[in-house]
Amino acid sequence: MSEHNVLNGIVGYQEVWQSKAALEKTGSNFQEIKQDVQKTVERIHPKRLSLKVDRIIEETASTKTFRLVSSTGAVLPPFQAGQYINVFVDINGVATARPYAIASSPAHRHYYDLTIKRAEGGFVSHFALDQLKEEQALTSSGPMGTFHHNPLFHGEDLVFLAGGSGSVPARSMLLDILERNLPYRFHLIYVNSFEHDVIYAKELRALASTQANFTLTEVVTRPTSNSQGHKGRLTTEFLSNLVPSITDKMFYICGPTPFNESCITLLTQLGVKRRRIRVEANGAPKRPDLQQNWPEGVSLNEEVTVTVKGKGSYKTRVGEPLLNSLETHGFSTENACRSGECSLCRVKLVSGTVFNPSEAHLRKSDRKFGWIYSCVAFPTSDIEVLL
Amino acid sequence: MKHYDVVVIGAGNGGLTAAAATQRGGKTTLLLERHNIPGGCATSFVRGNFEFEVALHQLSGLGTESQPFVMRDIFNSLGVMDKVEFIQERDLYRLAVPGELDITLPASWKGLQKTLQEHFPEEEQAIVQFMDICEKVTLEGFLTLPKAKRSNNPEVLNDECAHFVKYGFRSALDVLSELFSNKKLITLISSYWNYVGVPPSQMLFSDLASMLYSYAVFKPWHIKGGSQSLSNALVESFIEAGGDVRFNCGAEKILTEAGGVTGVQLETGERVTCNAVISNASPLVTFNELLDHDQLPIKVQQDFKSRRMGTSAFVIYLGLDCTPEELGITAPSSFISSTLDWEAVSDRMEAFDSPLGGMITCYNLDDPDAAPPGKSQVALVCLQYGDVWQTVAPEEYVKTKYAFAEKLIDLIEQVYPKVRHFIEEIEVATPLTMMRYLNTPGGAIYGFKQTPEDSNLIRERLEGVNGLYSVGSWTSMGGFQPTYMAGESTARAVLKKLNQMEAQHV
Ligand SMILES: Cc1cc2nc3c(=O)[nH]c(=O)nc-3n(C[C@H](O)[C@H](O)[C@H](O)COP(=O)(O)OP(=O)(O)OC[C@H]3O[C@@H](n4cnc5c(N)ncnc54)[C@H](O)[C@@H]3O)c2cc1C
Ligand code: FES
Repeated sequence: MSEHNVLNGIVGYQEVWQSKAALEKTGSNFQEIKQDVQKTVERIHPKRLSLKVDRIIEETASTKTFRLVSSTGAVLPPFQAGQYINVFVDINGVATARPYAIASSPAHRHYYDLTIKRAEGGFVSHFALDQLKEEQALTSSGPMGTFHHNPLFHGEDLVFLAGGSGSVPARSMLLDILERNLPYRFHLIYVNSFEHDVIYAKELRALASTQANFTLTEVVTRPTSNSQGHKGRLTTEFLSNLVPSITDKMFYICGPTPFNESCITLLTQLGVKRRRIRVEANGAPKRPDLQQNWPEGVSLNEEVTVTVKGKGSYKTRVGEPLLNSLETHGFSTENACRSGECSLCRVKLVSGTVFNPSEAHLRKSDRKFGWIYSCVAFPTSDIEVLL
Repeated sequence: MKHYDVVVIGAGNGGLTAAAATQRGGKTTLLLERHNIPGGCATSFVRGNFEFEVALHQLSGLGTESQPFVMRDIFNSLGVMDKVEFIQERDLYRLAVPGELDITLPASWKGLQKTLQEHFPEEEQAIVQFMDICEKVTLEGFLTLPKAKRSNNPEVLNDECAHFVKYGFRSALDVLSELFSNKKLITLISSYWNYVGVPPSQMLFSDLASMLYSYAVFKPWHIKGGSQSLSNALVESFIEAGGDVRFNCGAEKILTEAGGVTGVQLETGERVTCNAVISNASPLVTFNELLDHDQLPIKVQQDFKSRRMGTSAFVIYLGLDCTPEELGITAPSSFISSTLDWEAVSDRMEAFDSPLGGMITCYNLDDPDAAPPGKSQVALVCLQYGDVWQTVAPEEYVKTKYAFAEKLIDLIEQVYPKVRHFIEEIEVATPLTMMRYLNTPGGAIYGFKQTPEDSNLIRERLEGVNGLYSVGSWTSMGGFQPTYMAGESTARAVLKKLNQMEAQHV
């Protein structure tokens, strides 16, 4: 090509042509980096982990900790304290999954501890507590989520408001701070209905008495006569007395949805900026019908038909999140957070209407073109979706 | 087994435009994307109350309604022009080199000349000459050079492409140093090297000239709802035309027989047959990993050997609890550098040392909807190669990422102090993040390294497997406009080929 190419008349063209020829002599056909991307990404963000239950620890009457190890005995991927994995299970022929925060410290990568509390009306939590056995194999996602300390702006004064099993990520964060000797002050305000619900009670109390930078405040909302700690609900008064210079702290909130919401309200009333409050996601809302913009006259128990384009259809209830009913009827989409945050369960609504609750962190243009997060979408009419 | 005329692998800009064009051109098309969302680089993600634009800083090539340019036609023909809203930016960019210079260039050809002359009166004449050269080199490169190439006639070249002949294929630094003596002016006017990834000494003057000319004349644009809007609109147009799209579904193998494609095997194990495959995955992935055989065509080998890995980027996405005014942001796009020497800035791209230069884009300055009321959406970027990041041990990765982010924020705070103070949401993307979401070797964002040897003027289409086409930043120039255009023109070639084949069968 080069001799008769008219472009040779361009100043510099031939030189570039020659240097290209020189590059060709010393260059490679890149065969040596085959699979490089996959291997690199896999080391940090594996899509799936193959695990088995190593040990089961009874925490309270309603809570167990499952120590999971790699099925090959290898170390598990690193994670940031506060992150979760999504555990895939097959329960009586229904393939589903639930995200669980990692309770153990990121320093120990031979295992991830998951602490699971029996959820009222739950499906997977019952399965875990009643049927999961030691040595049983499990598959999960890699560690994910943004509910963790971020040194770029969280600072060193951290206050964690936990309700019930919300103490799970708090434990991981605490152990991380202590084991890495980080210069942070960590105050855990741990709220439970009953004293016998307190998870990690012994461990937390022991650490609080020996570690100068860890403060534990236990709160019991339905105390008995010999309950430890503060009795009653959280109030602005209680918090402002308990936490000095409250607007300078970074707050982490993790618990049942009503708990989270009331914590945000209290902190906001105390002048804490929204940017100083991090809240962990919490699954689909149980009562989407109490949210703004819920269509009038539609009840959660109404029956609707879901059609999966080209694949079939089934009947379900308005109040059942779409992803759950898809799974119950043998369909599936990728998923991880099951709380409207990660976007993995994104599907297209072809016809009909769904309610997207405030949990659905949809992109503006997804909303516009009818893409929804099936994990938190409620079909409010007969619908057709594209998987 | 299901049959399609065309399978498109990857829903980046190149893949999306190609798929929309083939399906709308009457060929049944399957679009495969590994990720759960279309766009590749042209995407967004949500954190808290913010939706972050991932990659689009300034869209070129659109032109205004009264002075439309090529992208308007393409978007019209793909049926997306009425599905998205474009936002015009007022300025080209601000360049701030603390202690040395701080100038904002307007997005207007006349205004640009005036601003440059105001700041550099001693170069008044040279500026006029420079702008004339930029305009002519751009127009010739676009209009008459392809003609000269087709005719292969030296006279056409010399008569109709005189400026391109004289300046087009020299380095930007070479030409600028010949025209100007003021070092600051040279630095100011070559800031766009950041959009190419190689410093002014290594980039073609014609690339710099056409960027300046196109952005100033046809304006820089943002997209309402971010580039994700356009990606989603392209998918919508594709689906409306009857196309099939599968997300969370990568292509595993490209199946061939006797040197031609016959089908594609999906991540799920399913197979489909097809007459053509358009791959938006990097050709390094397409040819070295997806092809079902190891005999890499000789031409492709030669092409690869003369290429070098391109740059990736380190990006901090910030949702700030303050207005742009409170931060002192006056232009949507700023380049910030601690030195006038772009070569020194570029030398840092392979190391973890503090970056010497970076850019910051504020999306809600011209589009209030880009952030919640009273807040700001800002991206901080510095170019970086993937290599060093691949040497980091997995357990050190997060620490390394935060440490480097601190350095980039330090740099930006030299001009916009208080950034840290207002952070409400933050996400940090490293070259490894780019690898994860784009599936590109080195996490490359503009494809191969865009030195002059990478120019399409000395490259041919990657041939060797019948019916296999590559689109995207690796085989065209990187960036939004070039990849959209590559997708569209490749689709046209595929349509032509398939129509010919059909005509022969009849
Ligand atoms: C942070 C950042 C800033 C940038 N800034 C600018 C800017 O200001 N201006 C500008 O013009 N350009 C900018 N760019 C560059 C520009 O975005 C890219 O060059 C361009 O979008 C690349 O398009 P592409 O067609 O090559 O596809 P890509 O965006 O590379 O997308 C490829 C797609 O293919 C998919 N894929 C890969 N392998 C497979 C497989 N086996 N099966 C199925 N799917 C597969 C990937 O998941 C991906 O979606 C920026 C990029 C980044 C990341
Ligand atoms: S699974 Fe994360 S958004 Fe639905």
